[in-house]
Amino acid sequence: MKRQDELLMPEARKEGLIVRELSGEVLVYDRDRSKAHCLNSTAALVWQYCDGKTPVSQIARTIESAINVPVDEEVVWLGVEQLNKSKLLKSTTVPNKMSGLSRRDVMKRIGLAAAVALPVVTSIIAPSAAQAANCLPSGQGCTSSAQCCSQVCSGGMCA
Amino acid sequence: MPKRDLPRLRVVTDSKDETDEYDWKDSLCFTSYGLRIGIRVNRKGALDRILPFLPPGWKKSRSQIVERLYSVVIPDDAKGGRRRARNLVYADGERVAATPKLEQAIDAFESDLQLFVAETAPRRVFVHAGVVGVRGRAIVIPGRSFSGKTSLVAALVRAGATYYSDEYAVLDERGMVHHYARPLSIRENGHLEKPTKYRVETLGGRSGVKPLPVGMVVVSKYQPGARWRPRRLSEGEGALELMANTVSARRQPAAMLEAIRGVVSRAPVLKGARGETQQVVDFILDNFGGL
Repeated sequence: MKRQDELLMPEARKEGLIVRELSGEVLVYDRDRSKAHCLNSTAALVWQYCDGKTPVSQIARTIESAINVPVDEEVVWLGVEQLNKSKLLKSTTVPNKMSGLSRRDVMKRIGLAAAVALPVVTSIIAPSAAQAANCLPSGQGCTSSAQCCSQVCSGGMCA
Repeated sequence: MPKRDLPRLRVVTDSKDETDEYDWKDSLCFTSYGLRIGIRVNRKGALDRILPFLPPGWKKSRSQIVERLYSVVIPDDAKGGRRRARNLVYADGERVAATPKLEQAIDAFESDLQLFVAETAPRRVFVHAGVVGVRGRAIVIPGRSFSGKTSLVAALVRAGATYYSDEYAVLDERGMVHHYARPLSIRENGHLEKPTKYRVETLGGRSGVKPLPVGMVVVSKYQPGARWRPRRLSEGEGALELMANTVSARRQPAAMLEAIRGVVSRAPVLKGARGETQQVVDFILDNFGGL
């Protein structure tokens, strides 16, 4: 009988996303969640090969042949875990033994001399227009809390 | 004023609003960064008080059809009474300020107008940032209020850089920076003070008009005693720093990504804590071979 993790074939989410490639990184904007993500080269490769038909072990081998360096399966699992947390995969259930995998765990297992950079997904919540605009300091006249740096407009004055 | 001469919204609803009851005495339609905006006031001469607060580079428009309509109501001192004693500002019929002080009402008007333009301008992406020009390239300093960007902009202008903005880096789809050269808002005595506005000429500087390619992005926050030792961010990390300060991030994400990609693919993004402003000024000037 096959192990649960051998059966898992993660699939990248495509709907509601805007994707732009940079040199070696990928920017993804999630319209549904108003979040922006930056995928480093390894995370971008993992995401690219998550087609819903390929198991993680095979993804590792595909990336290996694409970049011509050894890629440990655990590295791919770390990428899948991060992409899953960032909601960039279609409802993927990461097996228990793999969920919560940290960069440190993977480093310990495969050693510091990994040939490929560990996958990293960095995310921010896109600011609303008011958040990105200037705010008013304490004591200044205001008409709504969003105008104040303190986010509190009380009695027409910023707290 | 005859109704046909007043500005009116492009999209009209049937419902009446509070502003319908006023007798408008003067009005103005203008364009700013591709948007047409109207203002109507209930007092003759009131427009003169408002004009200095319009976005830089605004131009009068002959068309009365606008995308945003401001209505400014100034109470009649002679009438007295409590009900009419407040200055009122409406944006598209919705009240955005009601205050006894005209200055506060104008501040609210300026703030709402600025945000409207920054969020909805077509073909432009507004990043909250200070901008100066050095040797034909723009230095972009993104940051929210109190991050010290205006002090840095002012110091660079005093050192000879060309002033572009202390509020927004206005990017086009290629990542070029356009000016938003309003007077600098400088807080003289700490961040609790209301800022004083200075024309760039009073600092011995001058404003730039020509769009510039970005030469460097400086992400810094003031920390007393810190030494400026910036780290160069990857293109993606730099893009996230700019996105975190983009006004139209949610409304126009595709345009934002395009413009920001144009910036980070050409210019280094440096990040670090800074102490004295002069350290950063010297660093930038060294990197650009002086002024």
